[in-house]
Amino acid sequence: MDIPILSLLILIPLIGAIATLFMGGERQKFAKYVAGVFAAITLILSLYVMFATEMGELSESYAWIQTSAITINFALAVDGLSILMVFLTALLTLLVIVFSAEEKDRPNYFHTLVMAMEVGLMGVYLAADYFLFYVMWEITLIPMYFMISWYGGPRRHYAAIKFLIYTHVASLVMLIGIFAMGFESMGMNGGVIDFSFENINALMPQTSEAFQAIVFVLLFFGFMVKMPSVPFHTWLPDAHVEAPTGGSVLLAGVMLKMGSYGIIRVCLECFPAGAEHWQWVIIAIGLISMVYGAYACIAQTDLKKMVAFSSISHMGMVMLGIGCLSDIGITFAVFQMFAHGLISAMLFMVCGFTGHALGTREMPLLGGLAGRMPIFATFMMISFMASLGLPGLVGFWGEFPLVYGFYEFIQANDMLWLILFCLLTLMLTAGYYIWAMQKTLFGPETTKIDLEHVHDISKPEFAALAVLAILVAVFGVWPDAALSFVEPYVDGLVATFGVI
Amino acid sequence: MFIEYTYLVPLIPMLCFLIIGLLGRKTPQKGGYIAIAGALISFIIAALISYEYLTGDTYPNAVTASIEWFSIGDWTMHLGYYVDGLTCMMMLFSSFISTLIFVYSIGYMGEEGPRRTRYYAEVSLFLTGMLGLIVSSNFLELFIFWEVMGLCSYLLIGFWSFRHNDGDAASANAASAAKKAFLVTRLGDVCLMAGLFILLGEFHSLDYTTLFDTANIAAADPDMLTLGMLLVFGGVIGKSAQFPLHDWLPDAMAGPTTVSSLIHAATMVKAGVYLVARGYPLFVQNPEVMLFVGIIGGVTAIFAATMALNNMNIKKVLAFSTVSQLGYMILALGAGGYLVALGMDMGGAEGTALITAGVAGFTAGCFHMMNHAFFKALLFMCSGSVIHAVGTEDMREMGGLHKHMKITSITMLLGSLSIAGFPFFSGFWSKDLVLEIAMEAGHDGTVWFTVLWVLGVITAFMTAFYMFRMWFMTFMGEEGHASQHCHGESPKTMTVPLMILSVFAVASGFLILFGLDGVVSFNVTDAGFVVGGAEAGGVGHYFEHLFTNPYTYLTIVLALLGIGIAYLMYVKKSINPGKFNKDGQSWIYRLFANRWYFPELYNQISWKIGYGVARGVNYVDRQVIDGTVNGLSGAVVGGGDAVSKMQTGHVQDYSSVVLIGVAVLSVVLIAITVILGGM
Repeated sequence: MDIPILSLLILIPLIGAIATLFMGGERQKFAKYVAGVFAAITLILSLYVMFATEMGELSESYAWIQTSAITINFALAVDGLSILMVFLTALLTLLVIVFSAEEKDRPNYFHTLVMAMEVGLMGVYLAADYFLFYVMWEITLIPMYFMISWYGGPRRHYAAIKFLIYTHVASLVMLIGIFAMGFESMGMNGGVIDFSFENINALMPQTSEAFQAIVFVLLFFGFMVKMPSVPFHTWLPDAHVEAPTGGSVLLAGVMLKMGSYGIIRVCLECFPAGAEHWQWVIIAIGLISMVYGAYACIAQTDLKKMVAFSSISHMGMVMLGIGCLSDIGITFAVFQMFAHGLISAMLFMVCGFTGHALGTREMPLLGGLAGRMPIFATFMMISFMASLGLPGLVGFWGEFPLVYGFYEFIQANDMLWLILFCLLTLMLTAGYYIWAMQKTLFGPETTKIDLEHVHDISKPEFAALAVLAILVAVFGVWPDAALSFVEPYVDGLVATFGVI
Repeated sequence: MFIEYTYLVPLIPMLCFLIIGLLGRKTPQKGGYIAIAGALISFIIAALISYEYLTGDTYPNAVTASIEWFSIGDWTMHLGYYVDGLTCMMMLFSSFISTLIFVYSIGYMGEEGPRRTRYYAEVSLFLTGMLGLIVSSNFLELFIFWEVMGLCSYLLIGFWSFRHNDGDAASANAASAAKKAFLVTRLGDVCLMAGLFILLGEFHSLDYTTLFDTANIAAADPDMLTLGMLLVFGGVIGKSAQFPLHDWLPDAMAGPTTVSSLIHAATMVKAGVYLVARGYPLFVQNPEVMLFVGIIGGVTAIFAATMALNNMNIKKVLAFSTVSQLGYMILALGAGGYLVALGMDMGGAEGTALITAGVAGFTAGCFHMMNHAFFKALLFMCSGSVIHAVGTEDMREMGGLHKHMKITSITMLLGSLSIAGFPFFSGFWSKDLVLEIAMEAGHDGTVWFTVLWVLGVITAFMTAFYMFRMWFMTFMGEEGHASQHCHGESPKTMTVPLMILSVFAVASGFLILFGLDGVVSFNVTDAGFVVGGAEAGGVGHYFEHLFTNPYTYLTIVLALLGIGIAYLMYVKKSINPGKFNKDGQSWIYRLFANRWYFPELYNQISWKIGYGVARGVNYVDRQVIDGTVNGLSGAVVGGGDAVSKMQTGHVQDYSSVVLIGVAVLSVVLIAITVILGGM
């Protein structure tokens, strides 16, 4: 195959971003079509990569910076871990464009930012070189910053700058980790720093346990802030509350997964000994994030803030699965990343719609909306039920097997009581969602806000939500459709743990 | 030839759900016909499967087949069906009663307009959940359908949770009831999930064929198995509304009466009892587990009955009676299982005798479940017919309705006689079998069961009393306020199902004389555990015993006494009920009327450990964690200003700063080295 498909996955959104950037003035109302076409092509390409090629078959590498001491390539690859995220990025970008079809405020720039975000996200998930990985990682920050500070709510400047500084500081720590890996590999590699994943991920497991333990922490910190895990999570609720719906969907749907993706791709692949060293810390962070996030949800009155905290709780579950360092734990952590990507996209679309349509997302002001907006109510119910792990929907498979993986781990370590935190989280999750539905959809119709001109969701919004609802149900009934990609990768990864 | 198509039994209602849900918006009335057709086809297929299975060669061994769903590591998930005697009985009565309820809904829900689409879609999904749960071939599949039912009950209890015809207060009430039903059963479900983790950990599979294998059970850690089964029983407590998670069921009356009928008779609460029966091979591994099960059952039976004594709402009386009857079923399963467990521990001829005595408990529990399904569906639909006619649920406003609605009155009388245990009605056979087993377990096992037997007998008396109190208050005596506006008898679509069900409510007990006890029996063989295949009439000696046993006559006399007192109080008015409760002021009256303060307790618990902690967490989050972050950034910004002032231009100052920096870094590095060295 001579067509560089992986490069195209990055290039096409880039062209889309540039094209929409110059569609000012009269032409700006066509920006959504242009962006939509480019996003659709990207989605088709990602589906092609997913179903028409063998995993691991595609990889590209172009020399970028090459001196006698340093090798940096523009290297891309795709495997069982990244393919689901690539698909999710392409899908959610298109759906955000569809969902935001009625964006009136400078729509061309909005679409530029969405497409630019897709460039960065695709780059992160496809990169096979640490330098490229880091560059792409940083690129994602910029469009998100502008998305929040241009299109956001009343406290958007505070939220945007907080988001930028917080995650940027974390990535600087990560950068130190990347340098440490590079310099360490230099000695082992005959004096050449080769930043490719292939080289570094092969050399790092051979380093000393102390080195692994320290560098693991540097990288892990960078990724953990992105996920985000308690206590470095406070940027997320603010960013979500202020971000426009499209921004929130991408932020929760795919951007948070950069963190967990990085932990598996870099921390686990490079430092199996480091991971084992810090295993209990990872598990503790996961458990605390789960319970803490779930409790925080209960106290929220803003629908979107509640969903933001629920993301922290669910990403904590991903962290827990990774911390098990077992086949089943990591497999379903990846599955949970995918499931949460689909579900949180729905959740934020629903919450965002509440804000647009009613002018408020404060639950005490809402009530009895199901009578007036039945289709909206149905989607809200589907997304909430999926998120609380109702069997038959995709969320269940990110939850039941994952907690079982954790059960196996604690049973082997005689710490069975830890399961109580998981059970408490499951209970609380049901609690806040059901409670929120009672407050917003059911009961007497609210008189605190003007419902006179309220309408149900529009056609484009319906289309975006329906696609997600169908996927949530399909993957819920047939989880193997996603698991079959993840499983071979995790088998290979877990095999390296025993070796050291 | 039909058994291969068992998967169609849940699949057809599922298709009905999709058809009605996606296409039914334009013609709400047709949705009802689709739902009825779906339930009826499921019933016919279930009947064919049962016929083929029960007359086939493999009987009594279970017929099972499955396909691989997905597998991770050494863990493979299957999707399949499992047919044995219990499956046959359950799917027959579930689909049959559901068909009748759907027919009845045509009349009962006729005035709901476009909302009927939603109604018929959801009840079809509900039936899918129940039938799927019954034919599942492993516990994970069962759990999935179990949760689907939880969702449907949430949606249906909250059917009127917005734009209720009776106004905003009723909407709020329905919304709150739906929430409570979901969350309380969810608590049980979380326990069940934990139980499944343990089973999965011990057996590396959740397939029934693996779990019920004697060798596999012997290989499992008995302590973990005990813990696992207790947790599984936690799920039963939630779903079957056992003490102390019973309180959602009376609130669930906020839904339409047909939904109550569905929840109480054909689906939902029966799922919990079914789970105990299905997991019997694992439950009987430990007598303590079965004792716990029995105690929960017995306590629930009497506890719920007390609250039915003075309730004025016709549906709530029925709701409490369901909880109480479910307690009987659980008691029977617990008592029987206790004897089986003892017998298996003991071994030898004596052990075999105990097992033989104990397995009748399984039959009694399942038998009572079936009979209860018939008479409770009947009773609920009768009460629905009354509510439909008079427009209120308060019995004080009824009275004297017999002459307005004769069919409803007579069918409800038959149902009441059945649940009260009047001789030769269906409830009589199974209830006395339940008490018989409790007595037996008290005699051969532990004295606890004798205590539970006493509770059961008192419950029987209370049941007769409150059921007839309800019937007399509704149909006899003077006409109440609402009775005067009675529309007269309900339409045919409602009365015909009542008449069909009343035949079963009267006569289903006789099925046990025609071999049902053989089909729904539990056998402990050397090869393993088998449901069905006992000699028909295997519990025959219990019936002999039934009529020679003085205690049977005791319960009959108590039942008649209960009916008599109700008659004197509410028809003859020769006894004033107010005399016993100081006109509703005595503490015990208030205790019952306030449901033993359980709703209050639930509120307090969820408020304290839910919302209270959440508020604390939120405070910490906003003030402490985010406060630190904001404080730090403030310090950095402020620090930047300070640093700019520090740029004095003197080399000495700079060098001292560098020195301090180097010193701090060294300390940090040494600290890291020491920590790492120490590890």
